[in-house]
Parts: sequence; structure tokens; C-alpha cells
Amino acid sequence: MSGSTFPRRFARPGYVWRAFLFVVGAFLFGPLLILVFFSFNDSNVLALPFEGLTLRWYGAALADPSLHRALLNSTIIAVIVAPVCLVLGTLAAFGLTRFRFRGRGALAGLVAAPLILPWLVIGIAALMAYAKADVTLGLPTVIATQAVCTFPLVTAIVGAQLFRFERVQEEAAIDLGCNRFQVLRYVVFPHVAPALAAAGIFAFTWSFNNYEISAFTLGFQQTFPVWVYSSVRDPDHTAIVNAVSALISAVQLLLIWVGLKLIKRRTSSEAATAMITGATHVGASGATGRDPVSAA
Amino acid sequence: MTRRAGDTTARSAAAVLAAPTTALLVFFVVPFAVLVQMSLIKFPPNVASGFSLEHYWDVVSDQLNLKIALTTVVIVTIAMALMLLIALPLAYYMVFKAGRRELFLLLALVVADELAPVVRVYAWQVILGRNGLINWILPGPPIDWLLYSPFAVVVALATSYITYTTIPIYAAMKAIEPVTLEAATDLGAGWFQQFRRILVPLAAPGIFVAAILVYIPMYADFVAADIVGGPSSYLLGQRIRDVILEEGDWGTGSAMNLVMLGLSGVFALIAYRMSRLNRMATS
Repeated sequence: MSGSTFPRRFARPGYVWRAFLFVVGAFLFGPLLILVFFSFNDSNVLALPFEGLTLRWYGAALADPSLHRALLNSTIIAVIVAPVCLVLGTLAAFGLTRFRFRGRGALAGLVAAPLILPWLVIGIAALMAYAKADVTLGLPTVIATQAVCTFPLVTAIVGAQLFRFERVQEEAAIDLGCNRFQVLRYVVFPHVAPALAAAGIFAFTWSFNNYEISAFTLGFQQTFPVWVYSSVRDPDHTAIVNAVSALISAVQLLLIWVGLKLIKRRTSSEAATAMITGATHVGASGATGRDPVSAA
Repeated sequence: MTRRAGDTTARSAAAVLAAPTTALLVFFVVPFAVLVQMSLIKFPPNVASGFSLEHYWDVVSDQLNLKIALTTVVIVTIAMALMLLIALPLAYYMVFKAGRRELFLLLALVVADELAPVVRVYAWQVILGRNGLINWILPGPPIDWLLYSPFAVVVALATSYITYTTIPIYAAMKAIEPVTLEAATDLGAGWFQQFRRILVPLAAPGIFVAAILVYIPMYADFVAADIVGGPSSYLLGQRIRDVILEEGDWGTGSAMNLVMLGLSGVFALIAYRMSRLNRMATS
């Protein structure tokens, strides 16, 4: 490390740091880039050498009916789960940050629990509960279970933003004659809007990408991650998986990046960092029984 | 709202929190209670069967489970160590060195996590496979242990959870005053001493958060081991999934789940204690 002259905040990174960042970047994004590269390879085995350029895997992917069904299912689920999570998560964030009552710590812990408990455990528990209640597995069961373990993420992000909010502003608005609704509409909402947008994006991608819960609570249908899972074991399918994975990743990358950029423009980078780190803080404070809001 | 009487506050709190609490109770707490009940009920499960601890005994006394648990502890711990090795310098760089690039790096970490996880794990097949990138670049006979091996699982796990390891540590380091490090430099501390005596102790709470958010879920991960693992890296998560879905033995599967949660809870408690001790030693 270049480091005996500790922190020069705006100094250009040294060679060692640059090499380190390059390795981390390659570690995180390299596999996907290579997958994209292979999706143009004119060979149905996932191996070098490169046989020539082709777009036929993209054509095959677009023509695959089981894939259509899976993508449609994932989209339906995420389109329903994200708004439900926004509503439930914002309500929880508001309740936990704005009111003092007995059992508040316990409730905060309960809200944080789905973020810590492995999805495997949640999925299996849900499967058993649905079986016991004689509920047929399908899209509604996936939606219900996903919503419950995704909305705490919204609570974390929005809660972090609400906590940064000066209560005085709300009180000032009330003193100036605003009613409750006006306070929400003109004072609170503009302040939490970027957090809501970020939380919405995260809830959508979490839901769209979730494998574990769908695998246990979907029954015989498929979502996109489930389709990928079953297809990667089938050697005839790998080239198509590459192509569709490249497409989906590109779309997601674009959506998330543009979304986060827009949010960043509406808020300070300090607030943006607080929102992102807020999520991780709530999870931990729930586990240690501390107050999640004061930790954020 | 602060000026209202106590019981109105309680009533509006109840109004706001009713929906999320109900959702959690119905779709989270009740299923968990069913899981616990399943682990205790005698086989075959029906009203008359009564409760016993035999499923737990089955789980603990099965040699195969012990072997799998051991493999899991080793693989997951190595993955965690690898991630800390990356996350500590990365978080340090983001907080103290990145300057204007700080938010970009944070967003890149988040975006990396939001991309389809199953696809990300699967992509390692292309790199590590017998005809993959590494074997193509390296001369000599192909290396077979790269894919479908514990090595591949460690790599795939580390890429899957690096975001949630780095961000809490980053948040903890964010609270460190740069002056502290400057003072240490002035007093003649080298980078390793600063790292050991200042950064790690002050970032300890963040490391604990990372342990909670990453170490525990990794024990139940079966995606990585399914896609890039082999017979020698059969993990607890896969075992539980197979017992439930393939063998259909819900009693033993539930007991296994709870034993696993209990074990990871113990590990988390140890991590918490360690982070507390560290903080006491430095304050």
C-alpha cells in the first residue's frame, strides 16, 4: 500500500491502489462481461476458442416460450411486490421514527428480522405454512412472502432519510397553519422522495432476482431466476442462457444506474450515502436489540 | 404531533403500524411458528402424534450432517476472510482516498449486488471451467479443480456477498476522524500499525454488522454450491433443501434449519462480543 502519508483526500490514487481497484472491479463485473462476450460466440458449448460472431442465441432466446413465461411471471411479481413494499415499508419507517411507544424496540427487531434470516429458512417456513393452510402455491404465494421479506429494506432506506429530517420543519409547518395532509404533501414528501425512489428500485430488483423464495413457494411455475437455474444444467441451453442473461443484466444495469443518477441529482451525495448505508445499519441494530433509528 | 396527549399518539402509531405489523405476523411469524412446530411434531405429523425432540436427535446424530456442517463452516469462513481482506482496504480507500469517486464506487458496489445473483454465480463457469478462460490463458494441461470444487464455491460466495461486507465497514470507517490518522502519522506510526491500532478497532462495529448480514445468510446459501460446487463442497443449505424437497422429510428439515440458525446465532454472538471487547480496549 502506498500509505505512510495517510489521508491525502484528493490525491491521485497510487499504482498499488489502482491495481487493487482494478482487481476488485474485475472480480465484481468481469464474469458478467465475459458472459456477454460468449453470448456472441457461434458455438453452443461454453468454451474457448471463439468460433465467430453470431446473434442467433439472442434470436433463440427471444423465441423460447418457457423463457417468455418465466420473464412475464418475474415481471408480474416484481410489479406488484415493489409498490406493496413501498407502502408497507414507508408506513413502518414512519411509525418507528415518529412515535414513542412501548414495544417499539421489539417491533423494530421484528421488522429487521427478515433481512437477517436466510431466505432459505423463510422460503421453507412459508412452504410449510401454505401447505398447512391448504393454500395452492402460485404467483400470489410468492408475492406475499416476497413482500414481507422485502419491505423491511424499504423501511431501512426511508427510515434513514426520515431520521435525518429536522422535526422542527414539520412543527413550523403546523404552526404556520398547515393541516396534517399539507405537512405530508409539502414538507415530508419532498424530503423522502429520493429515498422512496431508491427503495422502489431496490425492492423491484430484489423481487425480480429472487431465486430462493420463488423456488419454494411457486409450485410448478417458473420465474426468470428459476428458469436460469434449471437451464444452466442443460448443456443445450447454455448459449441461450448467456444471451438472455446478457440482455437482462444490461437492462437492469441501465435502469438502476439511471435511477440512482436521477436520485443523486435530487439529493446531496451525503444523503445518498446515508440512504445506502442506512439499509445495512437497521439490519444490524435489530439484531443487537438497539434502536434502529438512532443507529442510522 | 409532539404536543398531543399520550393516548392519541399511541392510537396514531397503531394506525400507521397496523398494516406492516399484520403482514409480518401473518406471513413471517406464523410460518416461522409452523416451522418450529414441524420440527417438534412426531412422525407421521397429525393431531394425535404428539411432540418429541427426535428430529433434533436425528439431525445431530447423523454422521453425514456433521461432515457437511464441517465443510460448510470451513468454506463459509474462508469466504468471509477473503471478503474482509477485500472489504477492509476497499472501505478504507472509499472513505479516505477516493475523494469525488467515493459515491461512484458506492453505487458500483450496489449495482453489482442488484444484478441477477444466479446469473452472476453461473458466469464463473465460463471463467473457471475446463475449457474456460483461466485454463485457456494458462499453459499446460487444464486444471480441473477450478470449477465444481470448494475453491469455486468460495469465489462465488465472495462475489455474491462482497457488497454487504463492504458497506457496513465503510459506514463505520466514515465515522473515523481523518485527524486521528494524521495524528498517528505525526507520531510515527507506520501504515500497518495505524491499520491494526486505529482502523480495525474503530471499524469493529462495522465488521460485526458485516458478520451478521453476511456470515449467517452464507450458512444457508445453496445457489453458489449448486451451480459451481461439486460433491466435495456439498453445503448445509443444499442438504436442508434436499431433505425438504427431495426426501420430503419436513420434520428433520425443520429441525436442521433451526439447528443451523442456532449455530449461526452463536457465531454472531461471539462476533458481537469480540467487537465490544475491541471497543472497550480502545476507549
